Amino acid sequence: MLYVQILINGILLGGLYACIAVGFSLVWGVLNVINILHGSFIVLGAYLAFFAYTKLDIHPYLFAPFAALVLFILGYAVQLTIINRVIEAPVLVTLTTTFGLALLLDNLMLVAFAANFRKVSLKPPLGIIDLSDTFPSIDLIVPVDRLASMLFALLFVGLLYWLLRHTVVGRAIVAVRMDRYAATLMGVDTTKVFAVTFALGAALAGAAGALLSPIFPISPLAGTTYLGKAFVICVLGGLGSVSGALVGGLVLGVLESFGALFFGPEHSLTLSFTVLILLLIFRPNGIMGKRGFV
Amino acid sequence: MNFRTVRLGVLTLPGATALRVAARAAVAALTVSGIMTNGLAAEPAIRIGAPLPLTGALSPEGVKLQQGYELWKDTVNAAGGIAVGAVKRPIEIVYYDYQSVTPKAVQLAEKLATDDKVDFMFSPFGSGASKAASTVSERYGIPTLAPTASSSEVYDQGYKNLFGTFTANDTLSEPMADIVKARAPNVKRVAILARNDLYPLALGQEFEKSSKKRGLEIVYFEKYAINTLDHASALTEIKAAKPDWIIATGYINDMILIRKQMADLGIKAQIVTMINAPAYQEFIDATGPLADNVTSATWWHPAVRYESKDVFGSSVKYTEMFQKKFNALPDFTNATGSSVGVVLQMAIERAGTVDRDKVRETLVKGGFDTFFGPLSFNGVGQAISYVPPVFQIQNGKPVVIYPDVIKGGDLKLGVR
Amino acid sequence: MKRIPTALLGLGVLALVVVILPFTATNYLLRLTTIAFMYIALASSWNIVGGFTGYPSFATAAFFGIGAYASGILRAASSLPLPVTWLFGAAAATVFSLLVGPAILRLRGHYFAVASLVLAAVLREITNAATALTGGGMGLNLPTSGVVNVDMQTRLYYVSMLTAAVLTVSLAALIWRSRLGWAMRCIEQNEDAAIVLGVNTLATKILGFAASAATAGLVGAIYATWIGYIDPTDAFDDLLSIKPIIMAFIGGVGTIFGPVAGAIIFLVLEEFVWRNVLNFHAGILGIIIVALLVFMPGGLGSVGRGIDRLRAYGRAGGVGGAAPPVVPS
Repeated sequence: MLYVQILINGILLGGLYACIAVGFSLVWGVLNVINILHGSFIVLGAYLAFFAYTKLDIHPYLFAPFAALVLFILGYAVQLTIINRVIEAPVLVTLTTTFGLALLLDNLMLVAFAANFRKVSLKPPLGIIDLSDTFPSIDLIVPVDRLASMLFALLFVGLLYWLLRHTVVGRAIVAVRMDRYAATLMGVDTTKVFAVTFALGAALAGAAGALLSPIFPISPLAGTTYLGKAFVICVLGGLGSVSGALVGGLVLGVLESFGALFFGPEHSLTLSFTVLILLLIFRPNGIMGKRGFV
Repeated sequence: MNFRTVRLGVLTLPGATALRVAARAAVAALTVSGIMTNGLAAEPAIRIGAPLPLTGALSPEGVKLQQGYELWKDTVNAAGGIAVGAVKRPIEIVYYDYQSVTPKAVQLAEKLATDDKVDFMFSPFGSGASKAASTVSERYGIPTLAPTASSSEVYDQGYKNLFGTFTANDTLSEPMADIVKARAPNVKRVAILARNDLYPLALGQEFEKSSKKRGLEIVYFEKYAINTLDHASALTEIKAAKPDWIIATGYINDMILIRKQMADLGIKAQIVTMINAPAYQEFIDATGPLADNVTSATWWHPAVRYESKDVFGSSVKYTEMFQKKFNALPDFTNATGSSVGVVLQMAIERAGTVDRDKVRETLVKGGFDTFFGPLSFNGVGQAISYVPPVFQIQNGKPVVIYPDVIKGGDLKLGVR
Repeated sequence: MKRIPTALLGLGVLALVVVILPFTATNYLLRLTTIAFMYIALASSWNIVGGFTGYPSFATAAFFGIGAYASGILRAASSLPLPVTWLFGAAAATVFSLLVGPAILRLRGHYFAVASLVLAAVLREITNAATALTGGGMGLNLPTSGVVNVDMQTRLYYVSMLTAAVLTVSLAALIWRSRLGWAMRCIEQNEDAAIVLGVNTLATKILGFAASAATAGLVGAIYATWIGYIDPTDAFDDLLSIKPIIMAFIGGVGTIFGPVAGAIIFLVLEEFVWRNVLNFHAGILGIIIVALLVFMPGGLGSVGRGIDRLRAYGRAGGVGGAAPPVVPS
């Protein structure tokens, strides 16, 4: 029963991880930019949700689409003004540029919001589903807020998937991801596509942040931790692929849960990074490989 | 001639010619720096160096310490300054931000000692940084007051210049263990979850010792990594071990997360002790009803009642003055910031001089009655003279349950 | 041919300044210059991999940290003289690069960048966990260097870091002029063509990686004994990987003296910004990075070009085309 509980913990975590990573994966796959700013976007989304809840009484789950919208606009602006200027440059330049932007955004948030950890405490708290109440032999507990966050996260991921499959913009993005030069020949305006994709990545980060706010403490310093997870998930699941991010997220969540059990909680981070390096060396296209396009 | 061509002509080969620019920049910097001498003070202020983490992960604590320093400084300067013999000299505190990066704290301490040539120093925040920076104090023979160094490891380098106002970690675990034994006799199984960091881990180990000493069984003791976002696995294991008493150590964000995840996993225990977060209002705000019946211990609390011969007069008066200045109740970090100032002041006044050797001797002798408690130091410089209060959050408010002289309530069992 | 004398002049000025300083300057200035030497060595070290071979390495922090910890642990556990511990640190970092290099140097572009970036993160976590050996999250306290005199201590480290910087730049120059350097330049221009030419690209890359590791490790080792305290977050700080890249950019990636100039300019900038803007230095560093990379990708040599682009940017109303590829000069 312990193992099943650990598995459930892992899956709940994994759904959230998928939402964290999908925007990052999309930007990496389509723009070929490793967006270090992504972690800071998540934190910004979380802060927006926090202030919306404490000052305006808007529930984070309801606020998530608004957080996504705000971050969409911010992402669009950042991409057009700055990222677009280095988009053809080698990864050294693009990665360092987004690193610099992340430094800036993190410092701005630090000055604006201070470093003390904030947390959204839902009133009334959502409580837990204790399976042993209905099935006395099953001693499993599912925290409702994690479950809700995970379900909403999957909803957003699903929305993105639908967008990429069934709208013109979405198909254009997939086309650019497959081959940007061929896409230009097909009449796709790559500059617009880059801007929209980056903005979508930011929007998902914002939504993820809002959904995470009732669960994890919020601070400008948490950005790098989320980013680290996004790295691992992208390589696990394959770049630019929504289903890959989903699979990668779930796998990482479960891996971390069991890893903490077997190796001790202090090794869980080491485990994820070691997996990352091993994957990079032996299977850089991830579990899904290049097959997972959308 | 085109302006652009001239400019481009000046900067041709990036490598070697940029070297020229760099050389010029370096010479310019040297000249400017050479011109800057140490500020000539119009009055002979007593200068105290204080490296603080004003940005970075520890900035909330750094700001709290600074508030404590400032309150002390303003109060003393309003009265004219510290009495050194027949003269009163004002205080100047020289701050530097080490961005929560300990090696920077050490470098800044070195800078304060050699360039700013401060008379005395306050340690940076926390056991780890205090220990690291104490090497600098020892190297230059500067008496240094440590406001937040509780782990005995900080004092194990045989240094003579370090004096800390926090009593050792076991003074937090022993009284708590006594109370548990006395009031909750059917508590047998103990689980400890400690952050893998100098102070929280040392504290966790003290609780282990205190529990074992009283015949309690440790059913779980693990450390969690410093940036852990999710404690579900550790807590699931704890739940499976069915402990009666759960102890968690770490910094405020860890404690908030752990308390919440404990509730998420339906963990119930008779006693839950968390250190130090419950002493901060932020913890109570963030956890809401989950904070109830959580126990903790801390070195100082507004509920204590000490009369003192320092510039504040008593702990009650200190609390009032702090509230007036900052519009909030002081917590133990604010108070210890003021306490180091108070101790230094009393030592200087007693010695009648700012001579470092004489002040050091006076500090060694101890016997300072401060608002923070009576302060005397052991052979390695750690405070040994007071008992940190134990308290419990009851109905959203901290209630002191030990020592008896100041207690406001009794231990309540059962944390959901 | 006016360029050569002015470059020599610049070098001469610097050499003179460097030699005179220990006799005239305050300890503060000496410490600042020691940091300058540290930056020069790190920028030059990165340049060997990032500049010469064109591989986007973010591994500087990993090498630095290993050097720091290896040297620190040896120092805390024995009474071997300092230079021995420093060499041990450099050796440990080199061994690490030889172990990891063959695996990750097969990756290219993005994957190599991510792998090198993650190296530091993994090492940080391992160091945190191995508390018995490294002190874990509580850090490692090193005994003082035995020279109690403050002035001597400062000058000792001044000379040591200077030596490290000179060694690194000399090594870079030697490599540049050698066949190894030629092979690296081939890889940087077009790796596949280099393979066709018969260049053993893997061996070349590994050697470059090792040279970078040895030098960065040496700097880390000296740093650890200088400060007397190291902890995983600081020894493996990501900024240690990013800053040398920026320094090399400022001065000119792929040149010998570019990183030297860039390091000095960066330090001057950092010191003056840091003094005045207490709580926004990271933000300002971020702005500098973005401004540099977006408007002046060629470093100082393209200042003119950079200002043109700024003007064009303002005129065209913001939406421009793609940036030209970075050409190391």
